[in-house]
Amino acid sequence: MSVQGSRSGRIATYGILGVVTLIALFPVFWTVSTSIKTTRDSVANPPKFFDFAATTKNYRNLFDKQEFTRVVKTTVLITGASTLLCVAAGALMAYALARYRQFPGRRPLEAGLVVVRAIPGIVLMVPLYQIVSRLHLYDKVWVMVVIYAAVNLPFSVWLMTSFIEQIPVELEEAARTEGAGPFSILSRVVFPLAVPGLAATMIFVALLAWNEFLIPVLLGGNNTKTLPVYISGFVSNRNLDWGPMAAASCLAIVPIALLTIAMQRRLVSGLSNGALKD
Amino acid sequence: MTIALAEGHDSRTRRSARANRRRRWGASAYTVPGWLLLSAMFALPIGVGIYLSFRSDKIGSVVAGKNVGLNNYRREIGAGTFREALETTLIIAGLGIVIQLPAGFGLAAILHRNLRGTRVFRSVLLLPMLLTPVAVGLMWRFMFDTDLGVINWLLDTVHLSRINWLGDRPSAIIAVVLVDSWQSIPFVMLLCLAGLAGLPTSPIEAAQVEGATPFQIFRHVTVPLLRPVLLVVILIRLIDVLKIFDIIFILTRGGPGKATQTVGILTYNTGFSFLETGRAASLGVALTVLTLPVYLLWSRATKRTR
Repeated sequence: MSVQGSRSGRIATYGILGVVTLIALFPVFWTVSTSIKTTRDSVANPPKFFDFAATTKNYRNLFDKQEFTRVVKTTVLITGASTLLCVAAGALMAYALARYRQFPGRRPLEAGLVVVRAIPGIVLMVPLYQIVSRLHLYDKVWVMVVIYAAVNLPFSVWLMTSFIEQIPVELEEAARTEGAGPFSILSRVVFPLAVPGLAATMIFVALLAWNEFLIPVLLGGNNTKTLPVYISGFVSNRNLDWGPMAAASCLAIVPIALLTIAMQRRLVSGLSNGALKD
Repeated sequence: MTIALAEGHDSRTRRSARANRRRRWGASAYTVPGWLLLSAMFALPIGVGIYLSFRSDKIGSVVAGKNVGLNNYRREIGAGTFREALETTLIIAGLGIVIQLPAGFGLAAILHRNLRGTRVFRSVLLLPMLLTPVAVGLMWRFMFDTDLGVINWLLDTVHLSRINWLGDRPSAIIAVVLVDSWQSIPFVMLLCLAGLAGLPTSPIEAAQVEGATPFQIFRHVTVPLLRPVLLVVILIRLIDVLKIFDIIFILTRGGPGKATQTVGILTYNTGFSFLETGRAASLGVALTVLTLPVYLLWSRATKRTR
């Protein structure tokens, strides 16, 4: 667009962006700063924005507990394994959707993915709790992995479909005429070319898995306690201890913030591809 | 496209028709692992959920549940609690969309102009939507705290009276809407940005040639062209509010009283606080039925944007 606007218009634009950025980042800043304050500083009135003595006490307290390190390990394990499963199943589905206009079961599949995206998680949790406990699968890590993978499947399929569609189909046809079978076409032609897309999808799916709360809080116990469940535990205490709570929250969100900075541009295109499914 | 053409061409001979059929079934084979996941996690629970909704099962009860017909539905859906929860859900959704759509669209319009130095804002402003909802809920709960919260301190310094944010229905609902908006405006912005980037440039250029002002172009060209995208945004937000759980669970647990109890939180409370599995299942079925019209509109709308 040629509308670069007047000077004052431009200043107003930067002003708006500045204020919005402040609103977007302040809660993050506030959590980080609360996590390195002493209890007294964290509840000071007027609030202390910069003039406090930083302490690592809250973090040390967290890591002193064996439970916390176990929780972090469990979260990483479930996130990693479910992401691999989800992206593997999703990539195959996406390949079928991207390359074949018609195949048996395409329509139900497309509809199914939208339903799965639309259905509220809590609706599934009531029967899933019964299923999982009747089958003695309660609080099992691999069960969590499968459930997480299924829940994030639609997102991974839509994202991968748009990435695979961007790969020129001629390469596969060339490989096919040279006698390559379906498996070697996938493993030698399609997936190597789709690596950037696969990587982006994995990161987004991992993010969703990392943030997941409903599934582990309702279907999991101590073996499968994840970071969000651990963090939510701070709420039930009568007198909230904000320092450790902020420290635990920071450990959940700081990796995400770093990722956002590292990914930058790919983030924007990747996320909108998945959401508008085009 | 190329595939469809090639297929049409091939199918003239019988041998390649057979090969074609084999290829299509081959395509279905790729979807098998995904189907397994979907049926284990969705088809099965939905079936079991419908079954449970006609029974009187409870979590931890020694007495086995029995068939109670439509009793759960009559009791739960007919009850005032359900209607209140539905009302709360719709208020949160409505207020949310009224805030999020203009804000997200406005930001997208600003960023779409690509002024110098604004590129970095595209990713910085996305951050809230990526953060762990549970952590976000706690951060805001701390900031909304009546005595210690930084928000009331801000109100103090501009000489407004402190608000017991999470203690009254109107302010608690506003708090929930604000936090939900903080997390989802980036998402709305992102979709609008994608929509703006996908717009054809010729109608806009034509309007410029004819001397339309930037505002006229925006109002009469850009917005109508974007209508399908805006519709998708509204529908996705509706679906997401019907799904909303983490933030309310952390901020208020549906309280004070039932002030912020959405249908989702009501289902949770019935099933996992009162342990009434059968009744919770009937609420779940009702909630799913509620999402159906939104879902149908959505799949039609996304098909059109393709």
